[in-house]
Amino acid sequence: MALVLVALGVTIFYFSWTMPRLENRHVHPATIPGLVPILLSAALTLCGLLLLWRSTRIAAPGGWSGLGALLGTRAALRVGVILALAFLHTLVLVGWLPFWAAAMAFIFAFIVLFETWLAEEPPNFLSTIAWALGIAVVGGGGISFVFERIFLVRLP
Amino acid sequence: MFDGVFLLGQGIGHFMTPASLFNVAWATLLGIVIGILPGLTATMGVALLVTLTYKMAPDQAILTLMCVYLGAIYGGSRTAILLNIPGTPANAAAALDGHPLARQGRAGLAMGLATTSSSLGTLVGVFFLAIIAPFLAEAALKFGSYEFFWLALFGVLISGQMTGSDTPLKGYIAGILGLLVAMVGMETLHAHQRFTFGIPALGGGIDLIPAMVGAFGLAEILSAMKRNGVAHVAAVNDRVVPSFGEIFRYWRTILRSGLIGTFVGIIPGVGEDVGSWTSYAAAKRASKNPEEFGKGSQEGLIAAETGDNAVVSAAMIPTLTLALPGSAAAAVLIAAMYIHGIRPGPMIMVENPTFLYQVVAMLLLATIANLVFGLSLTKLFIQVLQVPRQRLMAVVYVLCVVGSFAITQRMFDVYVMLVFGVVGFLLREMKYPMAPLVLGIVLGDLLDINLRRGLLLTNGDPSPFFTRPISAVICMVIVVTILMSIPAVSRRVRSVVSGQRRRVQT
Repeated sequence: MALVLVALGVTIFYFSWTMPRLENRHVHPATIPGLVPILLSAALTLCGLLLLWRSTRIAAPGGWSGLGALLGTRAALRVGVILALAFLHTLVLVGWLPFWAAAMAFIFAFIVLFETWLAEEPPNFLSTIAWALGIAVVGGGGISFVFERIFLVRLP
Repeated sequence: MFDGVFLLGQGIGHFMTPASLFNVAWATLLGIVIGILPGLTATMGVALLVTLTYKMAPDQAILTLMCVYLGAIYGGSRTAILLNIPGTPANAAAALDGHPLARQGRAGLAMGLATTSSSLGTLVGVFFLAIIAPFLAEAALKFGSYEFFWLALFGVLISGQMTGSDTPLKGYIAGILGLLVAMVGMETLHAHQRFTFGIPALGGGIDLIPAMVGAFGLAEILSAMKRNGVAHVAAVNDRVVPSFGEIFRYWRTILRSGLIGTFVGIIPGVGEDVGSWTSYAAAKRASKNPEEFGKGSQEGLIAAETGDNAVVSAAMIPTLTLALPGSAAAAVLIAAMYIHGIRPGPMIMVENPTFLYQVVAMLLLATIANLVFGLSLTKLFIQVLQVPRQRLMAVVYVLCVVGSFAITQRMFDVYVMLVFGVVGFLLREMKYPMAPLVLGIVLGDLLDINLRRGLLLTNGDPSPFFTRPISAVICMVIVVTILMSIPAVSRRVRSVVSGQRRRVQT
């Protein structure tokens, strides 16, 4: 992570340093738009370097090792499924289907997947489908109705 | 003095309408339910509710959000007591003694003590809010760009130091990342677009609400659903309403924890969990029975719950008078206030003097609602605890999408929510705190504009940043804060202090 932060800090520093200094508008050099980003990116680089120095001395809790350990587990699968569903819903279904239908499809798929494929106990398919359908209709339809009709908020 | 009492009376009277009381009731109940459900935090609840209050009158909208905030911080104690899982991070200390009490068959007593001490904690914070805020707002009128620059920097740094779990460095990094996010878009001094890379949607910058909904909504969903698990709820067989004596014998603990919570709340961006842990530690040090802490100490539970709820009220002091959020949820409240045309900051007592006392009234009403619901709806809350997570989180995600879209009605904000959700989750997994990140986004513009405006006023001379009295004091506090976060320096200071103490004792 420290290396990523150092790289990010250096990149932002470069973009800040090369940002227009608006000399043609007689802007004072101490008030140029890039001033604060320059200082912040320098601070980020310094913190990244300190983190790097620290991680060579003591094994840091968390960090990429912690994240790497997570990637090989069932927890990663669960997170991956949520992200896949979320991206599918937001980037594909919303806009292609009416919002209420996209919301219902997301809720239904989410519950069914987590109560069958990703469940630890033996699944009860009939009960799961019934609950998922009920919550999808009430949740997806309810949210659309409450926001659009009662609170007059336009939905995507 | 009497003006204040008059304005407070006016503030309370203002909300004595059926519509306001109805809003207090449903919002507090919703807040408690949000707090009870593990994985849903107060910040997330407030961020999602901003959308729902969009069309409300400003006073009703802030009333609703305040009730959700207070309700959620309190509601988390239920989960801590009955499941040994803090409903919100602020209730982690309450689980240490609340759950052992529940296992001893005294779950009802634990919930009653938590409810009462939460309410008393809020009242202590509210008292200081009403007393301190008008004076601070008046004092802040003398602040210039130099002081506001240091205050913004201090907020991000102190938040980073107090919330960085294994090292303050990670807190500082989160804060700097937040400040850098705030640099995206049109800067206001010279109207120049920074880091937009030709993307028109970035011209207006990254909005706080979608970023918060991502960092506290989607990231929470991912964290909560990461693990599979079935909740085992402790049985409640005893009475919930505590006797006067059971509360009164811990009056010292309540007062101490309320004062600590108030102090923590006034410090920008530190938040309820620090208030709760600090109060708990102080109560343990001062207790006649410290060995009981962690094994079902009523005193420990009371200290933790008084401390975190006092933070909620006290967090409104810097939020209203300096526009520096006292906690992550207060940052969302600032965004909500701007959406509804309320401008927090030093001018609040000049432009809108009744609003501060209306906030006091809102907190008082929310406290009463918390107390009533908390002591009477035990069975309902236990049922809420048993809702399977996946059935809830699916609906919460849909709310995250609506919440980030509805304010400006741009799909771009939904994509911002997704990005912040994924990045927020990864940062959490690597033990980076979220509060400094959020505070950085809120305070970035304040820091940027005041540094450059200050330099513009002095034609590039930075000396007023160090020579004006208040600036010099805040600057020194910042230097000490950074130095004390270096382990070698803090070890040396501690050894010198303990050496001096030994010398004085001998």
